[in-house]
Amino acid sequence: MSASAIGYRIRERRRELGITQVNLADRLGISASYMNLIESNKRAVGGTLLAKLAHLLELETDILTGAVERRLSDDLRELPADPLLSHIRLEPDTANELVARFPDWSRAMLTLYRAYLDNNQSVAMLSDRLNRDPLLQESVHRMLTHISSIRSSAEILNDVADLEPTRRTRFVSAIHDESTQLSEAAQHLVSYFEQGDMGNRSMAATEEVDDFIIANNNYFAKLEAAANELRRSFDTQGRRNLGGAVSEFLQNRLGISIDIIDSSSDEKLTAGYKNQCLFDRNRKRLAFLANAPSTTRRFQMIRAAALETSADLIDVLITDQRLSSSESRERARQALASYIAGAVILPYDQFLEDAEKCRYDIEILRQKYDAGYEQVCHRLVTLRDPRAEGIPFAFLRADPSGHTSKRFPQFGFPLPRYGHACPLWNVFSAFQTPFRVARQLAEFPSGRRFLMISRTVTKRAGAFHSQPVLFAVMVACDVLHADRTVYSDGIDFDSPGTATAVGPTCRLCARHECSHRQEPAISILGE
Amino acid sequence: MTKRVLIAEDEPHLVESLSFILERCGYEVAAVTDGKDVFDRVVSYRPDVIVLDIMLPNRNGFELLKQFKSDNELTSIPILMLTAKGQEQDRATALSLGAEAFITKPFSNRDVVSCVDGLLKRYTDKS
Repeated sequence: MSASAIGYRIRERRRELGITQVNLADRLGISASYMNLIESNKRAVGGTLLAKLAHLLELETDILTGAVERRLSDDLRELPADPLLSHIRLEPDTANELVARFPDWSRAMLTLYRAYLDNNQSVAMLSDRLNRDPLLQESVHRMLTHISSIRSSAEILNDVADLEPTRRTRFVSAIHDESTQLSEAAQHLVSYFEQGDMGNRSMAATEEVDDFIIANNNYFAKLEAAANELRRSFDTQGRRNLGGAVSEFLQNRLGISIDIIDSSSDEKLTAGYKNQCLFDRNRKRLAFLANAPSTTRRFQMIRAAALETSADLIDVLITDQRLSSSESRERARQALASYIAGAVILPYDQFLEDAEKCRYDIEILRQKYDAGYEQVCHRLVTLRDPRAEGIPFAFLRADPSGHTSKRFPQFGFPLPRYGHACPLWNVFSAFQTPFRVARQLAEFPSGRRFLMISRTVTKRAGAFHSQPVLFAVMVACDVLHADRTVYSDGIDFDSPGTATAVGPTCRLCARHECSHRQEPAISILGE
Repeated sequence: MTKRVLIAEDEPHLVESLSFILERCGYEVAAVTDGKDVFDRVVSYRPDVIVLDIMLPNRNGFELLKQFKSDNELTSIPILMLTAKGQEQDRATALSLGAEAFITKPFSNRDVVSCVDGLLKRYTDKS
């Protein structure tokens, strides 16, 4: 069902609730004939009228407008790209119809598909472990050596009739020793497997958290309010920076100690550190690696404070039905705490005003707020308050291998949910010019054009022998909004050839002749 | 003249049984169990065949294989690599580095003897 079918949805829901058309029109303050035109899809509906309609029909706006179904439909369109389904002629465009007619079946199909991908990932990980894990390889080799020894000695005992008694005793003893060692090696191997934690990242859990955030359009009004309240709690009087006030708040008000750990410490000591930081809520201890920059320390301190002060609010938010497992809920908890931290450092109204004023110049914004580049990009994505919206940006973070580790889609921007993105996106070429902002006008096969702004960011190394972690971060907006940004300056949007012909991901891309193609497109995309 | 076989394997019981069976077949056998001693032992012992395990303490079997095959004086000594069953990549690596043969663990004594016999025959034929 297309967006234009909103009228049918209104009529259907009105009838479900037993409200007459006249009555609904009356409550909306519009004429019955106008109401009829809306229900017949002959008049558009939006703004306050849409909000009022949603309220009267007791539905979320997204459901009424079909945004939820569109997202579901977009997700389903990626199924035909899977080689498993390549022999079935699945027309991507019929996903809309399927979702419109059988929304619950569609959700069930998507849930199963994600579970399938999750399991595939686990199998690949286990397979990789069996093939590459050095400890496992050594154990297997050791066991096979013991078996070889036992077999060799046994063959001698069996085959050599004139074996001297002393030699016979030695070979029997060897079999005994080797079989004992073989048993120990086998037990060691079993206990190794029983450790359980394979360190895998459940795709289902991350997908669910993605869905949860997307369903909220990357914006949480209640968290914004919590962030404002938390910011007020920090005593910034007479201080030049927020960091000092937060540190004091954590230690004096919340009783959380803050430690700095030598970055070159034994790996066992620094295990579990994520983003150069480890927060132990039970022990009320926040520890940083010494190489964590001040922006990271401030962000993580606020995040720790948010986990404590907004625990109840976060608990309520993560009861969302989209988060089906404890792992999903825990991931969502961490994501929401990060959201609050971002909102404390970059207060919504002020940040939006500044962003508009400097035309979304990320460098200027990060200087003004003394924030990290990625923090600013991430905050830009959340400027979706319906009362005061910023430019709708999509966000992607990739590592040099092409693996994407963070994604925030916006409607219309084809961020692939599974697999790799198009290698022509400048988020990947950004690694060739580290720390320089790269911009790219990208045109998708659909004809839609987006302005992509990418730059590398790094987590600095802790010592000479350690490797700094490098990522590239991209924000992208529809070309319709590009002129509101400084990144459009000097680009001739009307000149043919300015835009780079890109795709979403090879399997979903109709540019069959593309020399950068890594894998074939699904055939139903047309020749 | 009696042919010499050097076994580079860190499992002493396996070394003992292989030595016993090869000696019964008429070979002179020496053994070394530490990877770091293998090269010197080859230089001093001058074996006609080397039976080389991939996983040796202190020096990987592949590194030793590469060292022998890039040494003008030692490159002609045929090398029988002992690999673990199922590790296809190990076998491919061994062959690409110039190993003349490989046997996968767990093996039979007969496999080792026939392989050593075959290598010596080929080596003798060549020389």
